Amino acid sequence: MTLSDYLSVLFLLAGAVFFLAGTVGLLRFPDVYTRLHALTKADNVGLGLIVIGLAMQAESYASVGKLLLIWLLVLLAGSSISHLIAKKALQKGVRMWRR
Amino acid sequence: MCQVKKAFLSEYFLGVPREIYLTFLTRGLLFSLIWWALTNGDLSSWVIGGPAVMLALIVSMLLIPSTPLVWRAGVKFVFLFMLRSLMGGIDVAWRAFHPRLPIEPDLIEYPLQLPPGVAQVVMVNTVSLLPGTLSAELHDSVLKVHVLDGQSDVKTELMVVEKHVRRLFGLT
Repeated sequence: MTLSDYLSVLFLLAGAVFFLAGTVGLLRFPDVYTRLHALTKADNVGLGLIVIGLAMQAESYASVGKLLLIWLLVLLAGSSISHLIAKKALQKGVRMWRR
Repeated sequence: MCQVKKAFLSEYFLGVPREIYLTFLTRGLLFSLIWWALTNGDLSSWVIGGPAVMLALIVSMLLIPSTPLVWRAGVKFVFLFMLRSLMGGIDVAWRAFHPRLPIEPDLIEYPLQLPPGVAQVVMVNTVSLLPGTLSAELHDSVLKVHVLDGQSDVKTELMVVEKHVRRLFGLT
């Protein structure tokens, strides 16, 4: 294994930790709003790290571009959809959890 | 001849603002780049790619008004965004794994100074990826933000981000 292989393993594992964090947050957080926090933010970082890890193994610049495009689209979709879900929840009067 | 040159240097060319040409060019370049990436740079694919890019360009010009961006501010914004969204991920991961679940949610209202339109949309989408904030509702330029930790100084953070968005769109 070359250095870039080790680096990519590192990035992929770090990415997996964030995906796990997102899922743990989804299960542990008390209401819809806090769960959205966990999903959007942790998964976005997780996917970013995985994209970096994979880009190191990519065969061409075009595939790097494709990976970046995937990440950007997921960012956009994640933040817009979480906003829409939160908005709908507020409108329907879903109470937010307070300590 | 001189008149043509003068016409091109002025605000309008052939009755169309110069901004529009610039937007057309940058968007065209962006869409071409996306097609190139999607097809792994296959040259023969441009038979379809050319018209597809043109169509996308026309649709985008019809749907999204030309918004001149300040490129230098754009680079700064991207850096800020990458850094803060990384912090956001680390922050929420830490809270999710922590045995005592250290969260204290709150809902705050933040009046936006930004003009309605693309600038506000950029702001709303960015806020959701920053540490501990989730934009929950935008109504009459007032943004309701769900905060994961009510103790943190969210207003300052939002003001910094808004300042960067303003600069990105060349508003001062």
